[in-house]
Amino acid sequence: MNLNTLAWRNLWRHKRRTLITASSIAFGVLLAVTFTGAGDYFYTRMIDAGANMGMGHITLTAPDYNRAPSSKKYIKQTTDLKHKMMEQRDVKGVLARIHGQAMFASARKSVGGIFIAIDPQQEDANNNLFLKAMIAGGMLTKNSDKGILLGADLARKLKLDLGNKVVYTTTDKNGEIVSAIARVTGLFQTGAIEIDGAMAVLPLQAAQEILGYQSDEVSLLAVTLSDQRNSYLLRDQLQKMAAFKNVEVLNWQQTQPELAGMIAIDKSSNYISQLLIAMLVAAGILNTMLMSVLERKREFGVMMALGMSPRNLFLLVMFESFWLAVLGLIIGVIVTTPWYVFMTNTGIDLSAAYGEGFSFGGVLLDPVFKIRLFKESIVAILIGLFGLALLAGAYPAWRAGRVAPVESLKAL
Amino acid sequence: MKIITFASRNIYRSGHRSIVTIVAMAFACAMMIIFAALMEGFVAGSEHNIVSMNVGDIQIHRQGYRDDPDIYNSITDSQSLAISIRNEGFNASERQFAFGLLASGQSSAGVQLRGIDLKYESTVTQIDQHLMLGTWLDVAELHGVVIGKKLARLLDVSLGDELIFVGQTADGFMANDAFHVRGILKTVSASIDNAGVFMSDVMLRELIALPNDAHEMVIMRTDRTRDLVMATEQLATLASDGLEVMSWHQLMPVISRFMETAQVQTFIMLLFTYIAVASVVLNAMLMSVFERIKEFGIMKAMGMRPWQIVQLIYAETMIQTMLASVIGLIIGGTMSWHLQLYGIDMSSIAEGISFAGIALDPIWYARLSTESLFTPVLFLFVIAAIAVIYPAAKVALIRPLAAIHHR
Amino acid sequence: MKRNQFFKFVFMVLTLFASVNWLYAEENTEAARVKLLLNHIDDMWRGKSSYAVTTMQVKTQHYTRTMKMEGWSKGKEQTLFRIIEPLREKGTTTLKSGNNIYTYLPKTDRTIKLTSGMMMGSWMGSHLTNDDLVKEARLEEDYDVTIRFEGERDGQNIIEFLLIPKTDAAVVWSKLILIILADSHIPVVEYYYDEDMQLARTISFTDVELLGGRERPSVLRVVPADKPDEYTVFIYEQLQFDIAISDSLFSLSSLKKR
Repeated sequence: MNLNTLAWRNLWRHKRRTLITASSIAFGVLLAVTFTGAGDYFYTRMIDAGANMGMGHITLTAPDYNRAPSSKKYIKQTTDLKHKMMEQRDVKGVLARIHGQAMFASARKSVGGIFIAIDPQQEDANNNLFLKAMIAGGMLTKNSDKGILLGADLARKLKLDLGNKVVYTTTDKNGEIVSAIARVTGLFQTGAIEIDGAMAVLPLQAAQEILGYQSDEVSLLAVTLSDQRNSYLLRDQLQKMAAFKNVEVLNWQQTQPELAGMIAIDKSSNYISQLLIAMLVAAGILNTMLMSVLERKREFGVMMALGMSPRNLFLLVMFESFWLAVLGLIIGVIVTTPWYVFMTNTGIDLSAAYGEGFSFGGVLLDPVFKIRLFKESIVAILIGLFGLALLAGAYPAWRAGRVAPVESLKAL
Repeated sequence: MKIITFASRNIYRSGHRSIVTIVAMAFACAMMIIFAALMEGFVAGSEHNIVSMNVGDIQIHRQGYRDDPDIYNSITDSQSLAISIRNEGFNASERQFAFGLLASGQSSAGVQLRGIDLKYESTVTQIDQHLMLGTWLDVAELHGVVIGKKLARLLDVSLGDELIFVGQTADGFMANDAFHVRGILKTVSASIDNAGVFMSDVMLRELIALPNDAHEMVIMRTDRTRDLVMATEQLATLASDGLEVMSWHQLMPVISRFMETAQVQTFIMLLFTYIAVASVVLNAMLMSVFERIKEFGIMKAMGMRPWQIVQLIYAETMIQTMLASVIGLIIGGTMSWHLQLYGIDMSSIAEGISFAGIALDPIWYARLSTESLFTPVLFLFVIAAIAVIYPAAKVALIRPLAAIHHR
Repeated sequence: MKRNQFFKFVFMVLTLFASVNWLYAEENTEAARVKLLLNHIDDMWRGKSSYAVTTMQVKTQHYTRTMKMEGWSKGKEQTLFRIIEPLREKGTTTLKSGNNIYTYLPKTDRTIKLTSGMMMGSWMGSHLTNDDLVKEARLEEDYDVTIRFEGERDGQNIIEFLLIPKTDAAVVWSKLILIILADSHIPVVEYYYDEDMQLARTISFTDVELLGGRERPSVLRVVPADKPDEYTVFIYEQLQFDIAISDSLFSLSSLKKR
């Protein structure tokens, strides 16, 4: 007699009980998928958004630049570095950028702030948050433009509008004070006041001219990957390569420690919640299996008297747990799939509750709640589920094997 | 009473089954309590962080100051205002601000000097405990300053390093002095991290020649349960014309909105947990009744009326649930209490975290309240009661023979 | 016949050439004249080297103060000035050498290098910015200049210049109007306009005296347009040109000398 078939049939002897337990497992699957999926989606979005805001998933900088930034620290011969980077697996893009502090002045007022210089032909709304957040005017068209994009609040403080000129003053690579002029070609509004009130976007060439950099010298290279999870591995690989020995290779965790910390905390609380729910589901399975074993003491006694080994009884109950888990999984999949499809594609728009411009760990939040599962997460959930079911079934299975035939026959 | 005795004996007789049921329910109860306490602790902790780190419950400024932080847009006669506020049963502290350039050996940056009233500041915020390196301000060392985390990096300075400040006094002269780094803060808020320089108000007043006024008054309720909106209105009547009195909800609407949503979120989390619990309890109760359906059949055959059977089943359920909730309360309550005192230390995972520009304490404290303790217990009873409706009704109505032969 | 026509043709061409040449010369003369005038004006406070003692008075809504300082300059790139009065700020010295600016602060005995962060702030509480002092732009370099009016106005013979900043010039103004006396080329008043063509500030030049061997205005008055009750006044007490100054004066070490 096939233990497996027996196990399966045993389950169906108590339809109601089996179905209820399977339902609670299914519910556990639903929750696991929702929590993990929300996390996978959310964290990836945050990391990608953070990468787009300035530093990329991996950042190449001059040594010590990340710790104490200054216009004196810059990387040279970036064309070679760029090519080398693009050869690497998984690299989606490499963008050259310059960051610096400056005073922005109009005839009426002057305000201190930060500028990011980009190559307008290489960047667009998809990979650059500022371009995406433009509310007026147009992007810088050419690298040689004398245009500038201002945060909406910065423009307001300076009492400037599109087409007006703004003089920006900064310190060049030799520590000298230099100024240049630009015309406001566009305004952006991300919603975060610390960005909109203090930041400006310049063409790369203008920044290079004013700082005294050559055309292939920049503050940093921002590398974006197609899958942010590869950033650790890639960074370690790059650090060992000779081509990159003069630059510092960092990943987003190092360049944006606040974001990393926030994600870590959210992940932990996510895990704790899931752990609690897993324990509850396990308790349910344990309860069911134990009950079912206890009530079949007599049956098991008979089986053992007829020659069934304790080991087989143990296996029988373990199989029952296993099939219970399978059943739960099937129900779980049936219930979860429409939910998952909905949440992956449409999601729940929370912008009514959160409003625009909400920053989380220094990165802007897009208030649409969606789910997405990585393959690895799916595998993890499955392993977790079966592991749990088997673990929960272990004690009852052991109890089943321990029954002494005579004793059990005595019990009525 | 006979029913109860009967019920108790049944429970005792079932032995294993009862224990398993009770333990399952107790476990579920404890989980709910711990979870509720953690969630409540998170929300309370976040608000605490926001409020007690820097912002306080309520702030007073001269109208227009927040848009244009001009040194002359000050609260005149701030000291007497502070005294009258304290008389109303609040804690209050004054602050003065000035802008200028801070230079280190390596570089310089535009900064905001923050003059702190060292006598009263600790009654309104806990920033004095929020240091990453070094020590907090001391009147004995007026030239020691505490600076924001990112500013320290930008200027490339550490403890003891010298900083030169250059700015303008209120009477038009050049303000300049040399300071040294006494402490570096952990993350507080974006603006403080990047440009905050804290010093004793005695020092700042002298530096920028502002002997009397203040730019900001920070106020905390001494009794945290006092209604914030009413307190704000009360203070608004105290403050003269030209001053604006705002609660932190009004000062930081984004965070305020987030806090509200966070509460909804935690409620949803709890709901999910409770649903998971419900299925466990349902399972347990159902099994416990249906397994004995034969017994009930015999009882009926012997004359027990349906209503009595229902009562019996309910009695058994309630006794078991009661035992389970006692155990659950003990375990859950103790663990939560421990977590309330010590919290879960997340700092190994996250060094300094910010959220909408505000720092969060990386230790997650639970918070016990009558709600977090008794709502789970109540819920347990309710679920258990609902769970046995179906089996109790079925058993009550089934014909004795059918029951005895039931599978 | 043919010869006649040929000669006529040549004559026409020659005349044409000559007239074009003449026109060009006329324009050249105009531009050259403007250039000359501007240089003359710029040179009013410059020389190969100079030494000056000035008093500055500032009146704002919140304070009134007076300061006295002495300054040396050599060429366009090097300037050093030191505050003599009031006592509280005596010894504060600023050195500008090219695009580097250093300030020595006697109170703390420290020298700091000015970075962009300070540039647009007001200089010493006055209505001029650090940028104004550092730039000291030669008008001719940063602006396209034309003469807008020449003739008599309010009993004076004046020349009125219109200065429009060149496209790449790093100045915040969108228009300057400079009025000088026609004969002595002494500036009378300078108007600064923002981009909406609103007057932003006015600098007037008065009290012409014999300074450093020439007739110059000894008083400069800066008035912001949005706060007409406020002003900053510079009074030249002493002014000497083309004196011998060694380059070593414009060094960091000399900053500290009192």
